[in-house]
Amino acid sequence: MNLDTANPGDLVAEYQTGPIPREQLALYAEASGDSNPLHLETTFAQKAGFDDVIVHGMLGMALLGQLVSTQFAAFTLTKFDARFVAVLPVNQSLRCTAKLVSHTANGLTLDLEAFDGDGKSIIVGNAVLARP
Amino acid sequence: MAIDRAHLGFALPPFTVEVTAARIALFLKAIGAEDGPQDIAPPTFMKAVEGEQNSSRRILETLGVDLRRVLHAEQQFDYLGPIRAGDSLVVQRTVTDLYDKKNGAMDFIVIESTVAHAERGLLGRSRQVVLVRNPVPKS
Repeated sequence: MNLDTANPGDLVAEYQTGPIPREQLALYAEASGDSNPLHLETTFAQKAGFDDVIVHGMLGMALLGQLVSTQFAAFTLTKFDARFVAVLPVNQSLRCTAKLVSHTANGLTLDLEAFDGDGKSIIVGNAVLARP
Repeated sequence: MAIDRAHLGFALPPFTVEVTAARIALFLKAIGAEDGPQDIAPPTFMKAVEGEQNSSRRILETLGVDLRRVLHAEQQFDYLGPIRAGDSLVVQRTVTDLYDKKNGAMDFIVIESTVAHAERGLLGRSRQVVLVRNPVPKS
């Protein structure tokens, strides 16, 4: 994607993950220190009203973050916000997208969104990147 | 049950986190990013740093919140400098806002955190909004 020819609203980066298995949730729990059983124990998740364990919102945000840091490595991330608008059940995949908001001499602003396999919005966010 | 507003301003004692290369490598593996740079932490690693010492659970328990009813609603990061392997970081976490919606069916807890390095100063700020889904009273 050539940022110089992109217009506001254009999709400038996207990444499709594979299904996120419970093993990855266990690994993320260990790596992040977030051991909330909502992400690890099916019976606990069911008591909380879900069919099965759900993916850590922060794991989804991390995947959006990877899209930004790999595709816009020439910039420095200064601000990164996310709203977790729906939960993602285990074994579902995420499609991470970045749309251009603005591109100036100072840097870049992106709208970020992650969708489940049915195209339902899971995370909505944005990132501000500075030109080094 | 509404959260006691007396908890507004509650802060954990500041704590220190040693960022090892192994810790960053494990985080990168967990997010499927083993191929990236290994010496600088990825953007959301700050959440793992502030979550050390079970700090999130300690805050929620102090506020009397049932973990089954908790969801992460929002997360914001401001980055002032990179977090690197070998860094010794000081974390401060404070409950900065408490509010409810839908006649108390949903409580919101705002936790603001800072991550600082002794020489390089403030490296980042984090703001987390936790949603507590309260049971609806039967009428």
